[in-house]
Amino acid sequence: MDGTLIELHGGRLYDPTHGINGEVRTLYLSADGIVPPPPDAGAIAQSYDVSGCVLMAGGIDIHTHIGGGKVNLARMLLPEDHDRHPVARGVHPRMGSGHAAPSTLTVGYRYAEMGYTACFEPAMLLANARQAHLELGDTPIVDKGAYVLLGNDDLFLRLLAAKQDPAVIGDYLAWTLDAAQAMAIKVVNPGGINAFKFNQRKLDIDEENTAYGLTPRQILLALAQGIHTLGLPHPLHIHGSNLGVPGNVETTLATIAALEGLPAHITHIQFHAYGNEGDRKFSSGAARLAEAINRQPNISMDVGQVMFGQTVTESGDSMRQYAGSAYASPKKTVLMDIECDAGCGIVPFRYRDQSFVNALQWAIGLELFLLAEDPWRVFLTTDHPNGAPFTSYPHLIRLLMDRSFRNEKLASINPAAAAASILGTLTREYTLYDIAILTRAAPAKSLGLSSLGHLGVGARGDVVVYTDQPNREAMFQRPRYVFKAGELIVRDGRVIGTPTGATHVVKPDYERSIERTVNDYFARFMTVRPQNLRVSAAEIEGEGRGRLVVYSPRRSA
Amino acid sequence: MLKKLAPVPSPPLTHAAVTCPFCGLLCDDLTITARGTQLTVMANGCPKASAAFKAADLPGPPLVNGQPASLEAALDAAARILQRSQQPLFAGLGTDVAGLRALLALAEPCHAIVDHLHGAAMARQVRVLQSRGLIQTTLAEVRNRADLVVLLGVDINTDFQRFAEICLTPAESLVPARLAARRVFQVGPAASKPRHAGVRVERVPCAAVDLRQTLSALRAELRGRPHRVGGRTRTGVTQLAHAIRAAQYTVIVWAPGQLAALDGDLIIASAGELIADINRERRAAGLVLGGNDGGQTALAVCTWITGYPLRLSFAGDTLDFDPLRYQTARLLGQGAVDALLWLSTFSAQPAPATPIPRIVIGNAASTLMAPNSVFLPAGTPGLDHPGQLLRTDAVVALPLRELRPTATPSAAALLLQLAQRLR
Repeated sequence: MDGTLIELHGGRLYDPTHGINGEVRTLYLSADGIVPPPPDAGAIAQSYDVSGCVLMAGGIDIHTHIGGGKVNLARMLLPEDHDRHPVARGVHPRMGSGHAAPSTLTVGYRYAEMGYTACFEPAMLLANARQAHLELGDTPIVDKGAYVLLGNDDLFLRLLAAKQDPAVIGDYLAWTLDAAQAMAIKVVNPGGINAFKFNQRKLDIDEENTAYGLTPRQILLALAQGIHTLGLPHPLHIHGSNLGVPGNVETTLATIAALEGLPAHITHIQFHAYGNEGDRKFSSGAARLAEAINRQPNISMDVGQVMFGQTVTESGDSMRQYAGSAYASPKKTVLMDIECDAGCGIVPFRYRDQSFVNALQWAIGLELFLLAEDPWRVFLTTDHPNGAPFTSYPHLIRLLMDRSFRNEKLASINPAAAAASILGTLTREYTLYDIAILTRAAPAKSLGLSSLGHLGVGARGDVVVYTDQPNREAMFQRPRYVFKAGELIVRDGRVIGTPTGATHVVKPDYERSIERTVNDYFARFMTVRPQNLRVSAAEIEGEGRGRLVVYSPRRSA
Repeated sequence: MLKKLAPVPSPPLTHAAVTCPFCGLLCDDLTITARGTQLTVMANGCPKASAAFKAADLPGPPLVNGQPASLEAALDAAARILQRSQQPLFAGLGTDVAGLRALLALAEPCHAIVDHLHGAAMARQVRVLQSRGLIQTTLAEVRNRADLVVLLGVDINTDFQRFAEICLTPAESLVPARLAARRVFQVGPAASKPRHAGVRVERVPCAAVDLRQTLSALRAELRGRPHRVGGRTRTGVTQLAHAIRAAQYTVIVWAPGQLAALDGDLIIASAGELIADINRERRAAGLVLGGNDGGQTALAVCTWITGYPLRLSFAGDTLDFDPLRYQTARLLGQGAVDALLWLSTFSAQPAPATPIPRIVIGNAASTLMAPNSVFLPAGTPGLDHPGQLLRTDAVVALPLRELRPTATPSAAALLLQLAQRLR
């Protein structure tokens, strides 16, 4: 055993991975993580009486835009966000700024202050992978990982259009994961980002990308099959077609059907759950969507809850962000076509509780949370910062756990939106156990993080101690203690330690012959050498900046 | 009598797929031979790269007030300068990601102001971005997708010398029809006409001071209104408007560093408006050429670590971003700072002359032999030590390698040692 042995006694544990629901148990922590009770009590260096407290594993954010080119463009675009939200000298170990688009250092400290100890950046491009990892390397304390975007890159579309053997496509997916040091694969508006470069302004699920003659349905299926064959822990992470378009619930239902039963994760589903009924041709599709997902155990989702206030939307979906730029507030937009790989769009936005559409978006997100029957297939997100900054999570948790608080808020939003939502009729209140599933156990399971998200022996030792209080927002905002890998890093809401988190990556096997295809493509069409695009382990781990945790999945037949 | 032995030459080492750190394009296909510490570009170097690798001598010993000193003594002297300073300026910033990280970590406890050598060009571009945003593209998109490229007052003969080869005249394209149809217009003074073989350039001649007016005329023409430049209609403008209407993907290229006239930011803003106009019906995007001397890297790293782009002050209790106030020349001229830390490992840009104490962390070309100064020799990233730089298009970052044996430390290592002394 290495280092100081810490005992936490008297607290109630919520550890859904092990079915522990509020039992009083003693935890032992060291630099090795969570360890069995020592044979000799004398070995315990520090003992904390945490009676009356709630203990959970460190929180895991499965979808948060915190690092990479588009995040940095958003920072650059919004000095007003930083001027209004400075992080003064002495507040954190180092200065920083920002609310919607915080600086990297500030992101790490704020997540830790809330008891989150792992964050996953969901939209890394191979072309931008080095920068994404550099930014994540400057995000202190938390573990991290990133999902690489595929499905709009010209190489993938060429392979698919040429009807390449699925094994070759699988090799290309695996090569990309390896080169980009990624943890999963995400698709954004399948084929649509690419189509926008050819001036298509919308792409329905069975509409062809004119340049390649491929539909989103074909792209989704090829990616989902490839990922399934590679045996990746996290299934295809899908940002679907028609984001934000009234009536897009049909697209989302069609997307689920297109997967033909293969595992998939539908991300920020709130933005894809809109009907087009009513006077304003905008309505909630939450009930239909939740019903469909409740019946389909292959599908998980995160919500992408909207909260009221100023934020900035950052997305790879250049096609939809261009359409959304008309609603920018303040009035400015950055849009990019990127390196025959993908694209991005940055649109600042203010969600207003008196706007019918924004208020209904808020209600739709909550409806989805409350109608989803299996908490293991729902993850708590605001799609930071697209629905709201991640710092609104404690407020969101209170909305889920406290029906009277929720109804109070419902009474304060645009009345027509409140009337158009079934939210007021939903009596469900999430329990602490449910919250521990949504924010810890379920994301860890979905990503295959064996040492995170639980409190069993062998866990990495990310433990959060909350003072139990009826106001769940206050409780989750400011934990009493946060331990990262067995080290006390936050005490009474103040960051006192800044260890470096690990970077989680997945490395499936692949046939090296795919490199010939990749090298040939890069030599003919691209502007860099693929060996130079590849992010080395040393770049992430060098100078003691980080540590890779590598998962090696086994191919299924 | 002993026979005089001829020195045994160490065999030359050849490195392939080397990233060139000497301009914002970061070409990563150079072949470089190292004979001892002498570097020679064998393949894929532009004239600027060939000259820069050839001239990249290793710096001499540390200097204190122009006198050789041990590294320890020089670091001590540099630390004393920073300790005594009430308001230091960290400028130049010609370094890699690691150097920037170390510099920003030092800027906070030193309450420093930070600015880059190309701070003026950055401020020009950033101001437009922050006021209205921009639709942008990257090198590979231009190479493959563009059927119309408009070089807006940009001179690719003296800088970004391989831009034409990489983006304008590739042997093939993902969209062959676009390459076959590709037209290149050059709007600006005659001297900036690309001299690259194989590029047929259609010219819209105008003086640098008329660029903005020409863009306005172009926008008017595209909206079907008659235009006037200098009191008359220009056929070149009309032809370019026709070309834009016929194109599927127009790319407008400019270099903020070359738009040094007073209305540089307004030219960029007009280009942005033109791009927005075109996108209502067809596709267009801007490509920004810049980021030399680690400029794009400095801008990006400062933005992610602090939330703000460059020209930033750590002097107060909160960060203060002010591109007008925190200009190196203005701060030095006004006597607003009392110590200068100058970081320059790529170019031959000497530290500005100033009576205040100066610390130079730099390459051989920035050696400073002067009273009231400390020179700390540093390696060049990508020649003397590994590292990373960001390319001009704000997307691609590339790895730098060590090409020759040297004991010269990196700027990052020196800055970390300085920080330890100031603890």
